Amino acid sequence: MARATALPVMKQKMGVPWLYLLPALIVMTIFIVYPMVNTVGLSFQNNDGTASAATTCREGEPCWGVMENYRYALTNELNTESVQTTWQSFWTSSYGNNIKWLLVMVTGTVGIGLIFAVLVDRIKREALAKAIIFMPMAISFVGAGVIWKFVYNYGTSQVQTGILNAIITGLGFEPVAWLSKVPLNTFMLIVVGIWMWTGFCMTLLSSAIKSIPEEIIEASRIDGATNFEIFSKIQVPIIAPTIIVVITTMVINVLKLFDIVYVMTGGNFGTNVIATRMYTEMYTNAQYGRGTAIAVILILFIIPFIVMNIRRFTKQEAMR
Amino acid sequence: MKQNRIPWTILAVLLVSALVLGACAQPAAPTQEPAAPVAGDIDCTGVKTGDTLSMLYQWSGEEEAKLTAILAPWSAACGVTVTPESSRDQALLDTRVQAGTPPDVTFWNVTQLSQYKDKLVDMTTLGANAANYAGYWGEIGTIDGRWLGLPVKADVKTLIWYSPANFQAAGYTVPTTWEELDALVEKMVADGKVPWSLGMESGDATGWTGTDFIQDILLVTQGPEYVSKIIAGEIPYNDAGVKAAYEIYGKWAKDPKYTVAGAEGTLSTGFNDAILKVFSDVPEAFMVKQSGFASGTLLGTYPDKVYGVDYDFFGVPGAKGLQGGSDWLMAFNDTPAVRSLVKYLSSNKGGEMWAQIGFDLTPNATGNAAYASPEAIKKAGLLAGATGFTPDIGDSIPGGFGSAEFSGITDFVNGGDLTAILDTIAAAQADAMAQ
Repeated sequence: MARATALPVMKQKMGVPWLYLLPALIVMTIFIVYPMVNTVGLSFQNNDGTASAATTCREGEPCWGVMENYRYALTNELNTESVQTTWQSFWTSSYGNNIKWLLVMVTGTVGIGLIFAVLVDRIKREALAKAIIFMPMAISFVGAGVIWKFVYNYGTSQVQTGILNAIITGLGFEPVAWLSKVPLNTFMLIVVGIWMWTGFCMTLLSSAIKSIPEEIIEASRIDGATNFEIFSKIQVPIIAPTIIVVITTMVINVLKLFDIVYVMTGGNFGTNVIATRMYTEMYTNAQYGRGTAIAVILILFIIPFIVMNIRRFTKQEAMR
Repeated sequence: MKQNRIPWTILAVLLVSALVLGACAQPAAPTQEPAAPVAGDIDCTGVKTGDTLSMLYQWSGEEEAKLTAILAPWSAACGVTVTPESSRDQALLDTRVQAGTPPDVTFWNVTQLSQYKDKLVDMTTLGANAANYAGYWGEIGTIDGRWLGLPVKADVKTLIWYSPANFQAAGYTVPTTWEELDALVEKMVADGKVPWSLGMESGDATGWTGTDFIQDILLVTQGPEYVSKIIAGEIPYNDAGVKAAYEIYGKWAKDPKYTVAGAEGTLSTGFNDAILKVFSDVPEAFMVKQSGFASGTLLGTYPDKVYGVDYDFFGVPGAKGLQGGSDWLMAFNDTPAVRSLVKYLSSNKGGEMWAQIGFDLTPNATGNAAYASPEAIKKAGLLAGATGFTPDIGDSIPGGFGSAEFSGITDFVNGGDLTAILDTIAAAQADAMAQ
């Protein structure tokens, strides 16, 4: 004890914490802050960043001045002839498609992930079952896209190389062009996304379920709760914070989704999403102003979900 | 004493490294004699042995080997070390150019001539020999009055591939006019046979076989002037002539009687598979309209096929002028090595060498007599006899036009409203012209 009191009292000057932060701050500034500021700057300029975006306006066309790239990004896909065409064109635009992705893929991955997490919780070979569901996560997006492109392949000859069409024609039906039929194709792509990400959701939800104290479950059983009641009234409410984190993470993932669409359809046949459209404007069309404007819009969509995620995280940390 | 040792050690290390560095630097110290300008077509003026030339191109594998073989006599004679890089990723080139560290030269597409017009060195400055090129090449390569690119490789797209054996078996003859082609197509349909294989799937570039076909139809119905005016923006893309061409194409591309599996087959079949369908054991169609590379694709799968017996091609009948892809040498830096490369490739020897190696066709007219294979000779004959050469419309209009054209034609085949689609593409065209 005497020795402990003899130790010098740790005294830090105000600047010391900042000194520790410095390396991280430098890296952040170079790789995150600077590119972001530059992106925002470019989004107000013309196609190669040499003049204001306002100079790209054409006579007799609508113009938003310096916000011209944003006008293009937000309205160019729309056909504003009538309310009906506007709605229709919005629903098949990159934004509309991203909404489809959000609705179907987030509910799909979280829902199926949750069901699997609860079901495999009780079976014998739990690890094996989970590993099978989780396996697609280990495949790169591009690889998965190529694999599924084969699954969906539409052959015109007698022999169908795509397994799905092989089954369908084997049963005596006409083959289906999965990837070019609108609006079916977007949903076929979403299936690939669900296949890839369900394992991720399942793993997080499963560990949350396992952290529920056994006593609570036992007590509810003694009180006569059915399995479904245990699931809906005990397990789900207790793991609700985890479910929300998984949902927000998936929302962010889906908003920035690029690979599956790019590999499988290249954004053709009305399957464009925001990220593939951004890539096309940026690299295929060399329209840096428009590409970065779409990027900024995408960031603005994502930020609220990042904030939600971080808030939830700090709350959880505070509870520990 | 002990403490004195460290400074001594440091001194010794410094001395040794100074010696080593000196030894390294010495051989390089005397300035190299400039390599003597070689007589004939390889002009090495100003080039020093050991000069390097950085190069970025899209070719790899066999194509890259062919380019290396073509450049070998020049690089050996002038002692230039070429540091090549191969990438199909245009983003890489864009990034380098934006960052101010472009390669000395690049071999890239015609669009980049206008995209980089402010950064490229004039071909006249570099000493290119314009006399070896037909007039239309100069027109394509000249942007704002400056000749910015040297066409090095051309590929004729206005071709229809067929199997002479299959034609003979069915009693069909090669058409020589557009009317004959149309009659042949109708005859095949009447016989219950499928004339076309029009698959256009190609990843994010899906649609290009369709827009190629449209351009060939335009060359028949309107001529090369008309196509050039579309590229220049003088004729809007929603003009009646374009619309008529889409209607001709649509009649064939959407109907399972005219093309394999109709609209869905056109959209979902890869462009390479579309070629193979004409030459398979049980052929699914009689003709495929495709560029010069089609023979390579079909030989890759069916190596036993013989040119002139199992496969052959004819120019799209009635086309006034050709359509083709071309690769262009663009120079970002003006160095003696770049000058001598440009002089070599535009010289008689450069053209002959390109044709001998047989890397597609060379726009350099002196190559015409040097081709080895009968197939290349026939293609070169078409190119040499052409009254006009139009680059791909989509490749030639910068900005969003190309992708608008591709998604337009896929939407059209998928059942979209033609007028609305052409209006959208015309808007992208007007947009590109305004920039």
